[in-house]
Amino acid sequence: MKLPSITTMFAAMLSYAVLTPAAAEEIRTINIVTRPQAAQPAEFQFTQLIAQEWRKLGLDVNVQVMPWEQMIQEIWFSRDKWDTTAWQMVGRPERSDPDEIVFNLFHSTTAAKGFNFIGYNNPEYDALVEAQRVALDPAVRRDLIRQAQTLLAEDQPNMMLAHPQSTYAFNNAVWDAATIVDQSGIGIRNTWTYLEMEPLGDVTDIILNSSDNVTAINPLYISGGTDSWITELVYDRLMRIGADGLPQPWAAESYEWIDDTTITVTLREGMMWHDGMPVTPEDVVFSFEAAGSGEAPMYGPFVGSIADMSIDGMDITFSLTEPSAPFLTASLSKINLIPMHIWEPVIAEQLTLETNAESFQEPAPIGSGPYRFGSWTLNEEVVLEANAEHWAAPKAGRWILRIVPNVEAALGMLRSGEINFLSDFPGDPTVVVAAAEEDPNLTAVFTVDIGFRYVAFNHRRPPFNDTAFRRALSASVDRRLIVGAAFRGFAVPSNSVVSPALGFWHNEETVEGMEAGVELAQQMLADAGYEVVDGRLNYPEGVSETLGE
Amino acid sequence: MKAITVICARLLQTAFVLLAVITILFFMFRLMPGSPLAAYIDPNFTPEQQATLMARFGLDQPLWKQYLIYLRNLLQGDLGESFFYRQSVAERVLALLPNTLILTFTSLIVAYIFGVLAGAYLAWKRGSVVEQICLPLVLTTRAMPEFWLGMLLLAVFSFSLGWFPAGGTREPGAEYGSIWALYASADFWRHMALPVLTLAIYSQGLPLLLMRSNMMDVMREDFVTMARIKGLSTFSVVIRHAARNALLPVMTSFAIAVGYQIQGNVVVETVFSWPGLGRELVRAVQTADYPLAQGAFLMIAVVVILMNLVADLLYAALDPRVTRD
Repeated sequence: MKLPSITTMFAAMLSYAVLTPAAAEEIRTINIVTRPQAAQPAEFQFTQLIAQEWRKLGLDVNVQVMPWEQMIQEIWFSRDKWDTTAWQMVGRPERSDPDEIVFNLFHSTTAAKGFNFIGYNNPEYDALVEAQRVALDPAVRRDLIRQAQTLLAEDQPNMMLAHPQSTYAFNNAVWDAATIVDQSGIGIRNTWTYLEMEPLGDVTDIILNSSDNVTAINPLYISGGTDSWITELVYDRLMRIGADGLPQPWAAESYEWIDDTTITVTLREGMMWHDGMPVTPEDVVFSFEAAGSGEAPMYGPFVGSIADMSIDGMDITFSLTEPSAPFLTASLSKINLIPMHIWEPVIAEQLTLETNAESFQEPAPIGSGPYRFGSWTLNEEVVLEANAEHWAAPKAGRWILRIVPNVEAALGMLRSGEINFLSDFPGDPTVVVAAAEEDPNLTAVFTVDIGFRYVAFNHRRPPFNDTAFRRALSASVDRRLIVGAAFRGFAVPSNSVVSPALGFWHNEETVEGMEAGVELAQQMLADAGYEVVDGRLNYPEGVSETLGE
Repeated sequence: MKAITVICARLLQTAFVLLAVITILFFMFRLMPGSPLAAYIDPNFTPEQQATLMARFGLDQPLWKQYLIYLRNLLQGDLGESFFYRQSVAERVLALLPNTLILTFTSLIVAYIFGVLAGAYLAWKRGSVVEQICLPLVLTTRAMPEFWLGMLLLAVFSFSLGWFPAGGTREPGAEYGSIWALYASADFWRHMALPVLTLAIYSQGLPLLLMRSNMMDVMREDFVTMARIKGLSTFSVVIRHAARNALLPVMTSFAIAVGYQIQGNVVVETVFSWPGLGRELVRAVQTADYPLAQGAFLMIAVVVILMNLVADLLYAALDPRVTRD
């Protein structure tokens, strides 16, 4: 054991003398960061509400407003420089498996530079989420995931707020309402709807909107939410997330676990690429190799668990490095099947270049999916055409995505017939409710999201390293107030990162057992030794402020 | 000979201005808060990926080095690759520029034709009830924010009356062989009607008021009095004699107005979902996509500088009293 040097000891004594006064110390001004009201009205509103409640506890709270790009710089890349911030996770079909969220957001290995930007570190939690990854029995895994949620509810690493509801609408005079599929946690804007929706009259084109531009149509580049709507239709995957949120065979005829680390997938017969070539098991293996080639960095993590692949007739056998419960969702439902005859030369060329496969844009992307690529007009529209030869051929004619940055105009367009499916509406949901009441041809649909809104605490900075303090701050605000005031009722209160939309995994006790109120929070703080002196909250005796300005 | 020297000197000046613009743009975007990696923050985003991306964007190099590389590439006509779209900036910018230019010029031509005629008319009607009603009206329309005016026109002509479509340049799914085929179609002009009207209403004030005050000055001049004395008709006096002379400064203001108008386009392109350079620019600045933002700004700067050059040369050509030195 190395003994501390004289200078270190002297410095320690000196700093003790200087920094530790006899009485308890006042907690510094706490910052809470939010995005601007114009960009994120609900977030701005709940941040103000929370700041107001925290002030009642004797804290001096300062609300800082900054755009997302700046937040990334000041929070994500400066991990020890912030106190608390509003944050959000969005819902995606692959997040129907809770692994990505429960593991990456809180596991200690992702704290330095990964998604655990709050710096949560609990070995007990680490062990739980590691165990669920290798638990292939769903019942066992479910139990582990529920335990992890209970632990999070006790530790309150974040102040969970709400799972918002997404707003969608469609013209029920054009589309048979009975054929619209509401996918659990995702809503009616999903692949199943685009396959099933049946036209009632002459209009057979699905005309939908997005407020974001299309960035790229590239099966090896996760380039944006809107782009994924397109790649999901143009490309097939071995499995797809079903309307119930669970993975089901798609381009795979069937699959079978041979043992804990070996799975055999049988490819469907008779599949064709959009250019007329047959889809072969070699194409499938190539698709997974391309994802792991380093030329598709965003897909790399999804094939990391594959040790080896082999082909036998139409069977593809995957050998894994360790048992992986999320494999069906995170890998087989995620990797786009791409034609080897097009992408092999591209990957080979990219290996010699500074750029990677993300920079390669096919003029007309070729997949094997239920829709084929039609045209793409920059920042205006993308047209896909139904692939009649597909085993799950769509009932609609074309799928036309219009880029409409003006949200209010998008709703107007739905009413005037310029679009017939409102697939993106980030505005005030009550406006859509009013429009649907006025116009019998409009059907509005609201779906509880897999995603969630929360306030993150920085565990690297006292007093947020104290669980009792975090619990008290979290308990000071009633989530029903947040849902009513900030989300106008279009959300459900949350105390778990696993959304109630994922019924199988969600631990409802975390929310049901939640008590809140300023008095309760004050009591919790007093019990933990925090004291209010002259209206300001002080640390418990013996704890000193290390970051005060 | 002299004219050529003057033009060369002007071109040289223009080149200097461009270099200044390029330099300011380069440093401005990099000094702004915000990270170009914001679009990629995801639970699966690993530290290695972050480092790879930064290296790929060239952002791991010192700033002066980045600047020199940028200048060198620019001289070779390479505007770089967009961080966000992973595509050539030049390709994107050039694909969107025509949509912005046709919208800008059409709306300005409408605004100037209306402004010149109405300005001449109001000068002629000086002191009348017509003037008392029309002038405040012109000032009011000039003061209306474009997004508000745009939404108002959308609500009335698109959503209530259904006369015009609300967004885009074409019917959903309509295919045209080239942009020329698109620009020649009735479909396109129907879609452009409301954005043009919005921009024209917004920009008619300047030519109108300019024309009116010029006309009032010119009408007091001797040659106009002379024309009246000769017994020419009012029409002939106002249009043939006075208006032709009053028109000169208005024409040159047109060139300068193009620069202002492109700023206004940013708003109108968003309100009417118009796929132009203005929207692209806003998006690029928001996402800290430096190469794309620089490229889009540069393109707009080139148009503005060129139009200023045209204005200078035009003025000298139209008015012999202006000397070039």
